[in-house]
Amino acid sequence: MLLDVRDLRVEFTTREGVAKAVNGVSYGVAAGETLAVLGESGSGKSVTAQAVMGILDTPPGRITGGEILFKGRDLLRLKEEERRSVRGAEMAMIFQDALSSLNPVLTVGDQLGEMFVVHRGMSKKDARAKAVELMDRVRIPAAAQRVDDYPHQFSGGMRQRIMIAMALALEPDLIIADEPTTALDVTVQAQVMDLLAELQREYAMGLILITHDLGVVADVADRIAVMYAGRIVETAPVHDLYKAPAHPYTRGLLDSIPRLDHKGRELYAIKGLPPSLTAVPPGCPFHPRCPMARDVCRTDVPPLHAVERGPASGPGRGSACHFWRDCLEGSARR
Amino acid sequence: MGRYVIRRLLQMIPVFAGATLLIFLMVNVMGDPVAGLCGERACDPATAARLKAEFGLDQPVWKQYLTYMGNVLTGDFGTAFNGQEVTELMGTAFPVTVRLTLVAILFEVVIGIALGVVTGLRRGRPADTGVLVATLVVISVPTFVTGLLLQLLLGVKWGWTDPSVSSEAAFGELVVPGLVLASVSLAYVTRLTRTSIAENRRSDYVRTAVAKGLPRRRVVTRHLLRNSLIPVVTFIGTDIGALMGGAIVTERIFNIHGVGYQLYQGILRQNTQTVVGFVTVLVLVFLVANLVVDLLYAVLDPRIRYA
Repeated sequence: MLLDVRDLRVEFTTREGVAKAVNGVSYGVAAGETLAVLGESGSGKSVTAQAVMGILDTPPGRITGGEILFKGRDLLRLKEEERRSVRGAEMAMIFQDALSSLNPVLTVGDQLGEMFVVHRGMSKKDARAKAVELMDRVRIPAAAQRVDDYPHQFSGGMRQRIMIAMALALEPDLIIADEPTTALDVTVQAQVMDLLAELQREYAMGLILITHDLGVVADVADRIAVMYAGRIVETAPVHDLYKAPAHPYTRGLLDSIPRLDHKGRELYAIKGLPPSLTAVPPGCPFHPRCPMARDVCRTDVPPLHAVERGPASGPGRGSACHFWRDCLEGSARR
Repeated sequence: MGRYVIRRLLQMIPVFAGATLLIFLMVNVMGDPVAGLCGERACDPATAARLKAEFGLDQPVWKQYLTYMGNVLTGDFGTAFNGQEVTELMGTAFPVTVRLTLVAILFEVVIGIALGVVTGLRRGRPADTGVLVATLVVISVPTFVTGLLLQLLLGVKWGWTDPSVSSEAAFGELVVPGLVLASVSLAYVTRLTRTSIAENRRSDYVRTAVAKGLPRRRVVTRHLLRNSLIPVVTFIGTDIGALMGGAIVTERIFNIHGVGYQLYQGILRQNTQTVVGFVTVLVLVFLVANLVVDLLYAVLDPRIRYA
């Protein structure tokens, strides 16, 4: 396993109290594998990624428990200087909004080349040549002429390509992409996603794709982890999950995708809102919104059950629902 | 860029004309310019009339203004009533004040920005609160108090420096006066930098820089500082004009014979030529400083392009 996150816990101290943004999350990514982490805003998907990268704002954030094993080493035990040399070189991150995530006052060539100057000790001239090479790699037209341009002079899609190029620069083993296409036009989204998937295959990198876009996930992911209120509620190989979700929340998500053959019918929506992280309901955090909720859901926190029997079950499937069997069978029947 | 500069320079002409006209009118209202020429007593009417005719003061004001501006454009700022050429006065006064201003700006840039960065990165910690309180004190206490206090302590009590500056006004002598002159602006620069740094520290591009695995020092200097300095540069630029003209108090305290001193003397002795001449040059300095700031803006922030 390239990355193995075990029982990670992150808290934020806020005015309303302590928010448990990540509450015992475990997931793993193998080399060449794509893990999609799915969830609403505030589900803890980005915070988990930031903890893995080591770019969490501390304070107010605080890692209160767990391990992040990367190539066998626990990143949380490394000294800051060792951690820094891992960041960017061995694992890299692609952010959502490339316009605000790139430095507005430095040329893209500077920002790309910086990776080589800092991590590889290259001269500025060589780094610049490398930057052009990278821009070619992510198919930016006329890279040699555009290397001295500033981020605002590029279109949204081109800027996101530059972000990707920056993440790829040192050929890391793991890339974390935090909603890489959310800020883009639909037509450009597909291009950027394809490029990312292609480069991932080529370099055999592990990829964590954080998203709330179920359409993107189906195309590129191998496995999915669905997060809700700081926990993983379901994890499964992508096709199994789409075929028959084993958690009512996942089913709700899938049902709320607009479909052409449902034209004219009312669009499904999960009722209610995600809970505030300072006041997560007792028992299963999803129970106030769950159509299947029973008494036990209000009192007992469901562990991540292994989903072994039933339709579309397989190794490595898990569901944090007391009634995962009912849900799985119900899903399969529809 | 070139066209922008030309347009800005052309825009300066009406501003310059308007500002000088206002000064000219105000000084004329100040009192009878000939009154000071006959010593303690008032001039007898015949002499006064002769002097007025000689200096062209019997002409209407607009005509006087035009004559004056015509002379200024040929580099003739007139003669003070003691017979000294105003340009000569400028030649001795401006270099002194420019040196003083340079020292003050240096303090603002080095100490102000350094303190601003340190406190901006440690917002809410004791160091931050301490500096914040100190800047508040400096801003609230008038310059003549800090000036006289420092003069008394450093110059008289402890004898670390000379309490007053010699007529050469070398850089070494101007350290304490420069600090006094800079004090209030320095406090503002600190606060401005602090706010700017604290705000940008949470920005996405700084997070990206950290995620790239850059050392902390590089993140701060290369990514955070440059973006945060844009408002600070604007402030310091406009402050140049204010420092040069506003050194009256500081120059009086430390007996520096610079622009402020000459202006003060000019106003006291109703020396119209001196006052109008000096203020005219200060207006020019202010305009040029503003232009330079705007151009510097484009250097710091490539998103700003002038056409």
